[in-house]
Amino acid sequence: MFSFETIIDNLPVLIASARYTLLISGLGCLLGLIFGAVVCMGAVSRSRAARRAAAIYVSFFRGVPLLIQLLLAFYLLPLVGVNVPALVAAILTVGLCAAAYISEILRGALNAIPRGQAEAAIAVGLPPRDIWTRILLPQALKISMPSLVNELILLVKASSLVTVVGIVEITRMSQSIASATYRPLEIYLAAAFLYLAINLVIAGVGRTLERRFAP
Amino acid sequence: MIDLSLFQQYGPALLRGLGMTIFCWLVGTVFAMALGFVLALVQRSVTAWPVQWLLRGYVEFIRGTPFLVQLFVLYYGGPMLGLRLDALPAGLLGLTIYGSPYFAEIFRAGLNAVPVGQIEAARAMGFPPGAIMRRVMIPVMLVSALPALVNFSIILTKETVILSMITVPEIMFETQTMMAETFAFAEATLVLALFFWVFVEAISRIGRRLERRATHYLLDRS
Amino acid sequence: MALTTTTNAASARLENVSKFYGEFQALRDVSLVIPPGKVTCLIGPSGSGKSTLLRCINFLEEYDRGGIWIDDRLIGYDAVGGRRMAPGRLREMRRDIGMVFQQFNLWPHMTALQNVAEGLERVKRLPRAQAQRIAAEALAKVGLGDKTGNHPSRLSGGQQQRVAIARAIAMQPRIMLFDEPTSALDPELVGEVLAVMKQLAAEGMTMVVVTHEMGFAAHVADRVAFMERGELVAAGTPAEIFGNPADARVRAFLQSYHDRNAFDVQAG
Repeated sequence: MFSFETIIDNLPVLIASARYTLLISGLGCLLGLIFGAVVCMGAVSRSRAARRAAAIYVSFFRGVPLLIQLLLAFYLLPLVGVNVPALVAAILTVGLCAAAYISEILRGALNAIPRGQAEAAIAVGLPPRDIWTRILLPQALKISMPSLVNELILLVKASSLVTVVGIVEITRMSQSIASATYRPLEIYLAAAFLYLAINLVIAGVGRTLERRFAP
Repeated sequence: MIDLSLFQQYGPALLRGLGMTIFCWLVGTVFAMALGFVLALVQRSVTAWPVQWLLRGYVEFIRGTPFLVQLFVLYYGGPMLGLRLDALPAGLLGLTIYGSPYFAEIFRAGLNAVPVGQIEAARAMGFPPGAIMRRVMIPVMLVSALPALVNFSIILTKETVILSMITVPEIMFETQTMMAETFAFAEATLVLALFFWVFVEAISRIGRRLERRATHYLLDRS
Repeated sequence: MALTTTTNAASARLENVSKFYGEFQALRDVSLVIPPGKVTCLIGPSGSGKSTLLRCINFLEEYDRGGIWIDDRLIGYDAVGGRRMAPGRLREMRRDIGMVFQQFNLWPHMTALQNVAEGLERVKRLPRAQAQRIAAEALAKVGLGDKTGNHPSRLSGGQQQRVAIARAIAMQPRIMLFDEPTSALDPELVGEVLAVMKQLAAEGMTMVVVTHEMGFAAHVADRVAFMERGELVAAGTPAEIFGNPADARVRAFLQSYHDRNAFDVQAG
């Protein structure tokens, strides 16, 4: 029989483990936004080398499955002398991976900004740094808001993969509860609905923000 | 540092794994597309609210939860519902279910983008509904939907590695077996990463080329 | 008010300016003197290179040969035929050159006031309060003192273009470039923008205006230059160009302009 009792008994532990899911996806998204902006600036730069480097970066992090990227960070970093806790390695990897997608999102948004916006800034005499931080990026962020919210939702789901490096977030926690209680159906369904709830909240907040910031 | 002789010894197993990866990808993609198309058709044609509501719930659930957790529900939770599947069928079913709402959305948008006038023209000429779908709507829809279809199919290649977590013997699983026996963790992961990079980049390029050719062909005919 | 009169209007001198887009030559050895404190209008058919020429004056468009001097300072290059100017020096020269675009190019995420104050804060490094005071003054000057808090999307085309003019004059430029400033406007909104430009002209601003408004060119310009196919065909006073043009190409252009607007003239 389907045992709601098992779910109710284990829900507090499961919810507590969600803080790692949120930490990894949230910080990963933030890092992705920062790195992604840098990669995007490379992708639209006048320098051929910068464009090439950005293209290779995007191609690698979008071409290799995140699961493999995580293992790569986990096994390779210590070999090259970088010893960081698994959690830090996981957040960094998720951030680097997200940057590849976010840079493409931002590039699309930049293309949607009329050329004259930057020209007006040049004519006024704004230095390049201010043109980026004051004129282009704020607009690009606003345009790409829906895609960025979507990216955060993707990251919440992708964070389930960090179980492979041993971080006890929702999925890993549900694995250990399932093997202890012999109730995999209930526990994994509970985990699934927990993810769903998180993502519905993010989507809702995203829609509110979009309305708020609509020009 | 990197010992390549390992790949000689484990070569056959890795090749089998590679074959399994490609098999899972192709079968999963085709089935997911088929289920997605059916979902899109149902969503268009059955307006009864319980059906719409169910469909909506299915889409939200699949898109809102990680593929890995879906696989766990199916593979470990399935037997409690009498659904006792081996790893491979469970993995293929999982891929099909996981991909279906994304494909459904692509088909839905594509069908909606077919200009009403073209459908009306066929209707005015007395085409039966099935023929309108086959001869007009699907070809026209494919023109606009093809880039998204190719794009999501490529995303699915990367999702196949997650099947290793329920012991489907695809390339990631075979690599991990090798790692467990040889402790060559870094080498194996690095080679696996490079392999996927090349593989995904290659099929992206092929996909883009196919896409251009197909749309040219269809555009020339329309 | 600090912004009212232009005491040190700049002159500009263009000598044999040429510009190529690959094989295509967009400008052919254009030479033109732009006297200080006067209005120079560039007219001609579309595609004649007049906008390209205007954009070369602040080096938004990079000319390939010849030279453009603002008050005897070459813009864009260290010397004629020399290397590109250092970006910082180019920015410093651009501070003196205001520009108004056809599509306004206001920054949509900022209010009218912020649009005008941005350059003062970031380029002139004025404290925020002072920048906003000058910005408010500039907006009042173009008749938009009551719209400082509006975003561009809440303004009409004419109002947006006046904000763009305020953005330029707030920097206290010594020469101003107008790139078809009324071409994107509905006919009934053209007048308010031209009025502001006339006021600037009366104050002695050096102005270079690319325009299709022959009325404005005839009545406000001190000099009119006619361009066709990247070449400067004729230049002179409005009377010389509009009254009895010597060149057949100028005559043909003006004739077609009159033909096109004949209905408007009768109706109006």
